[in-house]
Amino acid sequence: MTVSLAAVIFAAGVVAGSLGIVLGLGGGIFLVPFLTLALGFSVKSAAAISLTTVIATSSAAAAARAGKHLMNLRLGMLLEVATAAGSLLGGITAQIVAESILQRMFGVVAIVVAAVMLARVNRRNVISDPHADPGRLGSRFHDAESGGVVTYRIKRLPLALFASFIAGNLSSLLGIGGGVIKVPVLNAWCGMPLRAAAATSAMMIGVTATGGAIIFYGRGDLQPLAAAPAVLGVQFGSWAGLHLSEHASAKWLKLLMVTILVIVGGMMFTKSMG
Amino acid sequence: MKPDLRGLSALELTIGRVLRLGVGASSVLLAAGLLLTLVHEGDNVAPIVLTIAIIILLATPAARVAISVVEYIRERDWLFVALTLIVLLTLAGSVVVAFWNAES
Repeated sequence: MTVSLAAVIFAAGVVAGSLGIVLGLGGGIFLVPFLTLALGFSVKSAAAISLTTVIATSSAAAAARAGKHLMNLRLGMLLEVATAAGSLLGGITAQIVAESILQRMFGVVAIVVAAVMLARVNRRNVISDPHADPGRLGSRFHDAESGGVVTYRIKRLPLALFASFIAGNLSSLLGIGGGVIKVPVLNAWCGMPLRAAAATSAMMIGVTATGGAIIFYGRGDLQPLAAAPAVLGVQFGSWAGLHLSEHASAKWLKLLMVTILVIVGGMMFTKSMG
Repeated sequence: MKPDLRGLSALELTIGRVLRLGVGASSVLLAAGLLLTLVHEGDNVAPIVLTIAIIILLATPAARVAISVVEYIRERDWLFVALTLIVLLTLAGSVVVAFWNAES
C-alpha cells in the first residue's frame, strides 16, 4: 500500500459517502468498476472492499440522520427480510442467468426507472396535512422544504418487497448495497418521499452488505489495509454530503438520481455488449 | 396542535448512538493501522489493529438489528420481533458460512 494508492481509495470513499447520505446509495455500483478497471483489483477483492464501504456509508448516514424521523425503521426492517432472502438466493441467480444478460436487464431497468422519475420530477409524495393517517407502514417527518410536518403512505408494498429482493439478489454478486434499485422504486411507485426513501435505504444497505462482507472476509478476499482508506473517505464524504444536501430541493435530488441511473444503466449496457 | 414526533424516536436515537460508536471506533483503529503501515513498512501491530477495526465495522449493523429485536420485544410487537429475528438469523448464517469456508 503506497500513500498515493491510499489517497485514490480515500477519494473513492468520499464519493460513496456523499452519495450514501444524499441518495441512500452505498456507491458500490461505481466503486467496483473503478477498483477493478482503474486500480487492477480482482473482482472479489473489489466487491469485498466495496461491501465494507457500503457498511461504513450506511452506519455513518444512519447515525447522522438519527432523530430526524427520515428513516422508516418498520418499513426498512420489513423490506430487509426480502433483501435477506434475495441475497441467500444470489448464488443461484448467478448460476442460471448469464452475467451479460444480468447486466443488460439491469441497464434496461435503470433507464426505465430514470424515465419514470423524470416524468414525475415535480410531483411530491407528501401529504401536507400533518394529521393525515400514515397507515401501518407510512410515517411523518419534518420537511425542511415546505417547512412543516408532512405525512406519507406506502403504496404497492409487494413491488417494494420485490425491488428489495432483487437488491439483495444482486448485492453480493456485484458488491453493491442495492440502494440504486430500491430508492428509485420506493420513490417512483411506492409513495415514499425521496429523502425518506434515501434515509431508509441508507440504513438497510448496511445490513444487506454485512452478510456478503462476512463471507468475503471468511474466504480471505477482504484486505483490511485497502478497506481502511475507503472507510475513512466515507466518513468525510458523508459529513460533506450532509451539509451540502440539507437545503437541496427534492427536485434536484431526483434529477441527480436520474443522472446516476442513466450513467449506471449505460455503463451496464456497454459492459454487457463488451 | 403539532403532531408529536418524539415517541417515535427513542429507538432511532439508541441506534444512532450505537452506529456512531461503532463507526467511530473502527475509523480510529483503521486510521491508526493505515498510518502505522505507511510509516513503518512491515509493522507487526498494524495487521492486528486493522483486523479488530474490520470486525467492529462488520458487527455494527448486526448490533443495530439486535437492538431492534430487543426494542420490539419491549413493545410486544411480535410481527416485528419475528421479522428482525429473521434478519438477525440470516446474518448469523453468514458467519457460519464464513467459518465453514475458512476451515475448508
